[in-house]
Amino acid sequence: MRAALLLTAVLGLLLAAVPERAHGADRGLAGEFMCQCGCALTLSSCTHLSCGPRDQALAEIARLEGQGQDRGQIRAAFIRQYGEGVLAAPLRQGFNLLAYWGPYWVIAAGGLMIVLLAAAWSRRPRPQGDDAVEPALTDEQRAMLERALRNLKD
Amino acid sequence: MSEVGTLAIGMAFLVSLYGVAAPLLGTGLRRPELVRSGRNAVYANALLLGAASAALTYALLTRDFGNAYVASYSSRDLSFWYTLSSFWAGQAGSLLFWAVMLAGFSALVVWRHGGLRDLQPYVIAVLMGTSAFFTMLLTFVSSPFQRLPFPPADGSGLNPLLQNPGMFFHPPTQYLGYVGFTIPFAFALAALAARRLDDEWIRATRRWTLLSWFFLSWGLIFGMMWAYVELGWGGYWAWDPVENAALMPWLTATAFLHSVMIQEKRDMLKVWNIVLVVLTFSLSIFGTFLTRSGVLSSVHSFALSSMGPLFFVFILLILGVSTILLITRLPALRSAAELDSLVSRESSFLFNNLILVGAAFSVFLGTVFPIISEAVRGVKISVGPPFFNQVNVPIGLALLFLMGVCPLLAWRKASIRNLTRGFLIPGAFGALSALILLAVGMSHPVALAAFALCVFVTAAIAQDFHRAAMVRRSHGESYGRAAVMLVARNHRRYGGAVVHLGMILLFAGMAGGAFATEKEAILQKGETVSINQYTLRYEGASTYPTQSAVVTAATLTLFNDTHRIGVMTPQRNIHKTHEEQPMTEVAIRSGLREDLYVILAGLGDDGTANFRVIVNPLMMWMWIGSVVLTLGTMIAFWPERGEALRNRARYVVETP
Repeated sequence: MRAALLLTAVLGLLLAAVPERAHGADRGLAGEFMCQCGCALTLSSCTHLSCGPRDQALAEIARLEGQGQDRGQIRAAFIRQYGEGVLAAPLRQGFNLLAYWGPYWVIAAGGLMIVLLAAAWSRRPRPQGDDAVEPALTDEQRAMLERALRNLKD
Repeated sequence: MSEVGTLAIGMAFLVSLYGVAAPLLGTGLRRPELVRSGRNAVYANALLLGAASAALTYALLTRDFGNAYVASYSSRDLSFWYTLSSFWAGQAGSLLFWAVMLAGFSALVVWRHGGLRDLQPYVIAVLMGTSAFFTMLLTFVSSPFQRLPFPPADGSGLNPLLQNPGMFFHPPTQYLGYVGFTIPFAFALAALAARRLDDEWIRATRRWTLLSWFFLSWGLIFGMMWAYVELGWGGYWAWDPVENAALMPWLTATAFLHSVMIQEKRDMLKVWNIVLVVLTFSLSIFGTFLTRSGVLSSVHSFALSSMGPLFFVFILLILGVSTILLITRLPALRSAAELDSLVSRESSFLFNNLILVGAAFSVFLGTVFPIISEAVRGVKISVGPPFFNQVNVPIGLALLFLMGVCPLLAWRKASIRNLTRGFLIPGAFGALSALILLAVGMSHPVALAAFALCVFVTAAIAQDFHRAAMVRRSHGESYGRAAVMLVARNHRRYGGAVVHLGMILLFAGMAGGAFATEKEAILQKGETVSINQYTLRYEGASTYPTQSAVVTAATLTLFNDTHRIGVMTPQRNIHKTHEEQPMTEVAIRSGLREDLYVILAGLGDDGTANFRVIVNPLMMWMWIGSVVLTLGTMIAFWPERGEALRNRARYVVETP
């Protein structure tokens, strides 16, 4: 139980600690918005050499930054203009939390199950001599195996 | 030749259907000649699909533009190797490639595992059922042998994005991985159907599983290499739906490779192992479904087609049949052994499995979340790299941690002494490295954790190896010989350790990405741009034609501080057959410490050139890690001298 809780807590803490730009390839605000040209990549990774929608969005970011707007304000402006789909990561609110926390819930539930199973099994009384591995070989078979293993030795 | 190909595929479809029915009927009616006939159907299927593949290769190499597929994906100016790779550049060709690989693997399985009489009829039926699905698509939906009424003088050519060595190898390795997992899947279903629920099917498919995992790994690695050098955005992984679709079966397959050891050693996790195999195979088909269906927008949109629903039905069929068989056999799958303690190697493997499957679920949820969101909220959202990095990086770190922990714990129950003895030195190394990195100013929490864990895991592997070598040394061997003999006597264990070392290098390379720096500059001739210790001076651009494209190359002289260290020439190419799609050819200067990556983003009318310059630290270590991973897989794959004897001994013990 403690192990599962600890694992979940550590994962949760790490999730909180991971910066949104954990990957070097997504730098700055250009990595936070999807390009609207249909390439299915962010503005910073759009592969088109000349891309009108990307250049327009990057110019818009530069203009808003020039006006002194902060990250949150620029994000809000983009959502107003293009809708929520422009964000490369969904907003951390409401239904979207399912995507953020769902995997951790599943891992926590699985961890809890392992812990409970292990606890139940280790408390169950075992038949005498169960600790030792079942001696599956007869003396004759063991002698045969040892002879063969000796032959294998260099 | 097209007629030969069409006929061969059609016959392969019929033979596959026969290959499903004959062995099942043979088993049901106790008529072994029908099972034998089913075996022959497998060989016939391989011959027929081999003939169809030869016909398509011939059509490609002889530039038979009367063939619609050849006209669509090749052209006269295409080099020999890229002409060959046109085979799998389009949908029909890649389906044929899949089908012929499956047919070849199936023939090999039937020939190699002829002794498994109970399992074989069902194995043949599953393999031939899968073959029937693909040959049905080739026969009725998408044939690579359709003829054009008026053959063009030249073909449309290969998509320039695919004209890259990475893309030459990426699809075949990816497909080999996907196809390879049909084998353990077929054996798992056969074990369920025949009620042979011991670990026979696992022993029979161990090498197939490892080989398929290896190909799946290299499919991903080649894909990353291709994205890095060809897509020209400075990274190697964009968390694109199709990339994710390839990652998911790799994660579940990795979980299977680990959990299978528990079944072999302790006779546990029988149900779980079957679930993992079914999941891996289903996710492999799901990957193809995502690539072909277009339900999600992707950089792989060139592979779109209308056969998505058919793949979806096939996935449902796989899951349905597997679930029914699994549920009806549940009582017989009860394990004899149980977990003795939560602190044991078995439970650490279970946690490792949990994290791997959790990671696969996380990638799956993120990939399909736009569809879920639109269905539930009616709002279109995007799920891109920032989301996946946030959610998956902690999971990746947990996995890295467990990679170090698992080998340190004893089987059944770890004592306090075992824990102290195992963790003290690796833990101290990990903590010390974290302190040193903090002292030198590394403040990025994720990178810090990743590097410290890399050191911890490396120390754990080194300690494990050293202790084992010392035991042999105490019996009179020199340390060197002891080390060699250790690996020679236990390929699987130490091959696995080498694979883990490769993974550590991959993790370190990924963590290095946190320190990437980037600069954009518009330069006139003679002007410079500086990034970190590098300075690039723009010397001018030249345009010249090649056999297949018009190339515009910018020349930049590179200085490290004030020393001239080379010249870089990023390019912009316009291919004759795809003029609407100008391509970047990035210039990369790779070193052990970092890559300098230069993109020619555009040329102005006033003689200026627009460059993006990126410094990617530790990138080379990812590719070195991939080579180490290959080496480890080869060691683990290699048969051991004692293996045959152990199998014989097991036979002696098991035979009443």
